[in-house]
Amino acid sequence: MICVIALIVFGILGIFSASYRIIAKEAFNCVFKKVTFRKCDTGLDTRLKSQITGRLLKFSPRLGKTVYKYFEVFSWIFLILILVTLFFVGRGIVFYAMYGNCNGPNSNQFCIFDPLGTNKPSDVTSGSTCSIPGHIDNKTLSAPPLGELKNGFYQGNTEAKVVIIEFGCYSCHYTKLAEPTVRKIIDRYDGQILYVYKDFPLSTTHINALRASEAAHCALDQGKYWEYREYLFANQDQQLTEELIGYASNLGLNIDEFKQCLNTKKYQSVIEENYQEGLNSGITVTPTFFINDKSVVGAKEYKEFKKIIDKELGIKWWQFWK
Amino acid sequence: MNISKIREDFPILNDPKKPIIYFDNACMTLKPKQVVEKMEQYYYEYPACGGRSNHRLAKKVTDECNNTRTSLRKFINAKSDKEIIFTRNTTEGINLLAKSFQFRKDDVIISTDKEHNSNLLPWQMIAREKGLRRERISTKNGFDMTSFEQILKKAKANANRTFVSIVHTSNMDGTTLPIKEIINTAHAYGAVVMLDGAQSVPHNPIDVKKFDIDFLAFSGHKMLGPSGTGILYGKEELLKKLSTYNVGGDTVNDTTYDSAEFADIPERFEAGLQDYGGIIGLGAAVEYLKRYIDDIHEHELKLNKILTEGLKHQVDILGPEDSKLRSGIFSFNAKNKMEHHEVALMLDNYANIMVRSGRHCVHSWFNDNKIDGSVRASTYLYNTEEEAKQFVEKLKEVLKMR
Repeated sequence: MICVIALIVFGILGIFSASYRIIAKEAFNCVFKKVTFRKCDTGLDTRLKSQITGRLLKFSPRLGKTVYKYFEVFSWIFLILILVTLFFVGRGIVFYAMYGNCNGPNSNQFCIFDPLGTNKPSDVTSGSTCSIPGHIDNKTLSAPPLGELKNGFYQGNTEAKVVIIEFGCYSCHYTKLAEPTVRKIIDRYDGQILYVYKDFPLSTTHINALRASEAAHCALDQGKYWEYREYLFANQDQQLTEELIGYASNLGLNIDEFKQCLNTKKYQSVIEENYQEGLNSGITVTPTFFINDKSVVGAKEYKEFKKIIDKELGIKWWQFWK
Repeated sequence: MNISKIREDFPILNDPKKPIIYFDNACMTLKPKQVVEKMEQYYYEYPACGGRSNHRLAKKVTDECNNTRTSLRKFINAKSDKEIIFTRNTTEGINLLAKSFQFRKDDVIISTDKEHNSNLLPWQMIAREKGLRRERISTKNGFDMTSFEQILKKAKANANRTFVSIVHTSNMDGTTLPIKEIINTAHAYGAVVMLDGAQSVPHNPIDVKKFDIDFLAFSGHKMLGPSGTGILYGKEELLKKLSTYNVGGDTVNDTTYDSAEFADIPERFEAGLQDYGGIIGLGAAVEYLKRYIDDIHEHELKLNKILTEGLKHQVDILGPEDSKLRSGIFSFNAKNKMEHHEVALMLDNYANIMVRSGRHCVHSWFNDNKIDGSVRASTYLYNTEEEAKQFVEKLKEVLKMR
């Protein structure tokens, strides 16, 4: 059994240093002979046993004698430990490649490959979301049906097999934080996904949130939604009515029409419908994303979205061209 | 013999950080600094070739090699320097003889049942090549003189020539054959005798004239000399009758495209450039050894007694139990069946004791006696009684593991 251990240990060491390759080769020959029911005549097992027990004997005669007597048992235990360790190391590497964390998706535990925790998923309570006061517990999230594309802003392929729905609030700092990621996703997966934005204004926390949502709808009417959305996120502390009209003016929108839209609260019911839909889906914080039936809560890194989107699209980690 | 003073000449024995007990002298002896310095001097100051060029460096090499030849001649009390041939080792000396001796079909070769492979294989091969007969003498209860004489008698009656090639002192168990009686008997029947002196010459004074030895092969590296050096001694009249088998530069006085005028002995057997550094170092080794050669055997018997008395209840000794009959060699297997390689490795790793394990190149004997191998401790002039006692103590501890 010591030859199997020697094969694993010196085989790994031999990757980094040529001086171990000879003994790794000898260990391989020994193991190969044993598995083909022949005697291992290299003497490697005797040499290793003698080296280990001889040195232990110098240190402690009792210990040396015990190890010598139960050498095969100790070898088996050590081999099992090595195999278990290798399994977990391999698993960690695979998880890291797939999820950016060696403990699996959505894990907050320490990962040696990501010591600073940059890939850790954020907690709802960790400050990466805006929440409805008094509703900080995580409800079970379930993606809303796509339905008719009428009550939200959308971009992309309406026939796409991957639909990303974002419930956001124009006054929420974290919805703004997620914005570059959203833009990157739309660019990267152009033609492969459908992105839908739905209003979830946290009016109790952000007093201008509802107004800002209405203004965005009014800008959509005049075909300038995305440009107006940029203004809203860039000026989250300046979303009073006069300021919202000012942004429309900057974009060259018809101000009378815009004011009319705002003053008549033309889209209030639509926004309320979106909000209710969000509540029904279990949402209490923004931004919350649904990628098909998978949820991502908070302003997460692009990597996290990518893993889920790629999986939904059936793209393997090595297919960098897709 | 002042052992402490001798040990000062061996740096490897004086390293306090890596103290070792070297008990593998039957394989290779350590080298005193005098030998190493002499070789260094050659390589630094006159690294030329000898016996060819006329410049002063070459002349110095030639002179030093001649000095070595003379030292060796005196060491074994040969008649002439011409009787000393430089080889690489005992093995090469025996092979040279086997290939060069003018054997005829049905000649008989006699050896013992305890020969080193170097004194077994050349005779196996030449016997097959030339249709020779081989006979083996048992040494189970001492050399079987009766069988020996019978074989000689029978060969003589059939007008077959006989060649006796035997080990003088066995590297396996340290026993020494009664060569005086053997040679006298052999000569009485007109047989030629070759002795494998690898284990005897370095440990005991030998007089080739006194014992009337026809051929004697031994190794420089087993007598404090450099590795890659050996000697074949042969009586002048017998050497002149040998054919040449390894020919080339320096074996000839002159050549044409179709013929060669071979040089006199011993040069005709020393083809090509020699290991001059080795030969010069060997000369230094002989000069060093001759100061102590008369005392070594006695010293080794003392050490062997310590080993034997201390361990006879823990081990099965190969050869006679009486340590006086085993020179400086203590070959054994553990009574508790601990495997011989394991014992040797444990002694190394636990106690820094160097011994040999295995079949010691006498596979034929081990196969015949159905023994896997043995551990062999072999002493020399620089080993101490303290080392022998430590060996006993450490071996007992190792054997307790099982």
